[in-house]
Amino acid sequence: MYNKQRERVFMLMILPAFIGFIVLFIAPTAMSFFYSLTNWSVYNPDIKFVGLDNYKMLFEDVKTVSAIKTTLQYAILITIFQNIIAILLAVYLNKKMVAVNFVKSLVFLPAVLSILVVGFLFQYIMTSADYGLLNNIIQFFGGDPVNWLGDSKIAIYSVLVTQVWQWAGWSMVIYIANLKSIDTALYEAAEIDGAGKIRTFFSVTLPLLYPAVSFNLLMSLIGGMKVFDVIFSMTKGGPGYATETIMTTLIREGFNSGRNAYASALAVVFFIAVFILSRIVITFLNKWERKLS
Amino acid sequence: MKKKTVTLFLSVLILLATILAGCGSDTSNGADKEKENGNDVVTLRMMGYNPESTRATYLKYLDEKLPNVEIEFEFVALDNFNNVLNSQLQAGEGPDLIEVGGEAKLLAKANYLLDLTDEEFTSKYVESGLKPYMVDGKVYASPLQSWFEGIFYNKAIFKENNVEVPKTWDEFIEISKQLTKNGVKPQIMGAQSWEPMMKQSIGLVNNEFYSDEANRNFDEKFNAGEAKLAEEWLPYVEEWARVIDEGIITEDMLGLSYDQALDQFATGKAAMWESGPWAVETILEKNPDIELGMFPIPGKTEGDGWLIGGPGSALAINAKSQHIEEALKVLELTATEEAQKVLVADNAGSSFLEGVEVDLGEIYTDSEAAFKAGNVYAPWTAVWTSGNPIVEAYGKSLQEVLAGVKTIENALKEADSVNDNLRKTLN
Repeated sequence: MYNKQRERVFMLMILPAFIGFIVLFIAPTAMSFFYSLTNWSVYNPDIKFVGLDNYKMLFEDVKTVSAIKTTLQYAILITIFQNIIAILLAVYLNKKMVAVNFVKSLVFLPAVLSILVVGFLFQYIMTSADYGLLNNIIQFFGGDPVNWLGDSKIAIYSVLVTQVWQWAGWSMVIYIANLKSIDTALYEAAEIDGAGKIRTFFSVTLPLLYPAVSFNLLMSLIGGMKVFDVIFSMTKGGPGYATETIMTTLIREGFNSGRNAYASALAVVFFIAVFILSRIVITFLNKWERKLS
Repeated sequence: MKKKTVTLFLSVLILLATILAGCGSDTSNGADKEKENGNDVVTLRMMGYNPESTRATYLKYLDEKLPNVEIEFEFVALDNFNNVLNSQLQAGEGPDLIEVGGEAKLLAKANYLLDLTDEEFTSKYVESGLKPYMVDGKVYASPLQSWFEGIFYNKAIFKENNVEVPKTWDEFIEISKQLTKNGVKPQIMGAQSWEPMMKQSIGLVNNEFYSDEANRNFDEKFNAGEAKLAEEWLPYVEEWARVIDEGIITEDMLGLSYDQALDQFATGKAAMWESGPWAVETILEKNPDIELGMFPIPGKTEGDGWLIGGPGSALAINAKSQHIEEALKVLELTATEEAQKVLVADNAGSSFLEGVEVDLGEIYTDSEAAFKAGNVYAPWTAVWTSGNPIVEAYGKSLQEVLAGVKTIENALKEADSVNDNLRKTLN
């Protein structure tokens, strides 16, 4: 009896936050579901129900479809590269070495910077202008200059590289924290059993890194899906539509063109895509976890 | 038990306070200020997408001439402007005076703007200045000074290489080749932005297409979806594309931003660069010794050439403003020769007020003939209903043309399809 009443008070305590969550997140999300079925626009005085027209237009628009593809490609690639590099760094820097803490903070440092700052900086480093730093270095070693951000085939990868550089250190810190919790006795046992370094990594380290892996995979996947600021500062979606993502398309259609309902439809598609993708990853991770135990 | 009731009561109270704080509105702010000041000073909110520095002299002038009006200037960068403005307007609020550009017609159609047709000052402006802000014969804004873009050139480089300001498009291609031969980059372009190629190509369309009386009503038909860019503009844009075919504008410029292109031009690494008066200050800052000139985009046959431009922006009054009378006074004062000169002082451009002539200065001598002939036009701000998204699609497609993955015809078709889509969605 006492417990139930206490719980009720606790429930009331979280109520303000919960109401905030409903007003600021649940309600707007539900509203965009609703708006995506109308012709809503700031420039339309009266709203009409138009069914699935917006969705039809969305999937008929080559630009939007290619933006969705680019986003998926970007999200998957950044998840893979960022985590592989982070795990390698974490395992390597988890040893006792001279200046290891210094190196760790050096690798982590880019994550402290604002994405926009990094974006504008790399825009200058990768520019095709005569003073472009990266091209100057390549030319110094006798190579040909590359149009890093202006070539529609390369641009998205140039952006990707800067983001892997910026966020690998972040993931590394989480992996290191996880590595610290692994019992050293397991490594001793592996050594006695005659396991080599690679075998130890795959049989002891990686399985026990499970919590960090699942967290990091999900974070970078969702982060990759909603990529916007770095694209905005480095390529503005260009050249042409080569680096347009779901978010840049959403902003362009919703705010610049005033097609709010269309943008709402895209937001719904985005929501579903993130939902499905993270479900797939979680299912995969759960299977892995069951195999371990 | 009592304690629990108190806890419960308190949490409900906190909850209510949080909710109420969110609902509170700040309607009382403006009224309070007036009373404190003693006299009837009315505060007008003016929201603009051109920074305060481009309006500084004008705002100071208004301050002096209208002692009982205090103008609170709010700068919102264009990237965010429509977003911020529209959400305020939708809530039935928003600034009293609004700087409007390409979206003016849409805002007027949605009944957000005050009808200015019968105001005396409206009749003082020439029609070309009012046209972009007219819907069904009614005027919804007062034009400020014009904006224009031409081709800046480095006079010293031209002299050294013995080339003259081109009078025809062929000559333009010719001198570009000549400069290339002499080891000088003829034209630099910040093609990472979709704007410069879009504008320069429309410059040629101005020369060849809009100069012809017969095509005067093309834009209206385009708005109605009865005319297509891909059918009408194609030969002229293809003519422009010679700058791509001849290697004057190159693929590597897709990796160059506006600022980087400006930098290259200002430091003498390229002979020409397309932009407008707003860039002059930065160019001179980077290189005070540069000998700067601007010529209009030449056409196939010799003529005065055309600039891209038009009424840069205009001031409209929020139809739901609490201070319509005072806002009208501001517009009335703006429609005087004195005020127009004050406007041009911070940002070069011509005035749309009848009988006002502005001396633009030495840099623009080569463009004088084009100005005199009235050869300044930008269809997307002048007449097109949703101009900005259409030229954005067109410009982005031209980037793909430069990258070699699209044809000019497809680029124009892309712009047409955006026009169709927007007409369907916004009507």
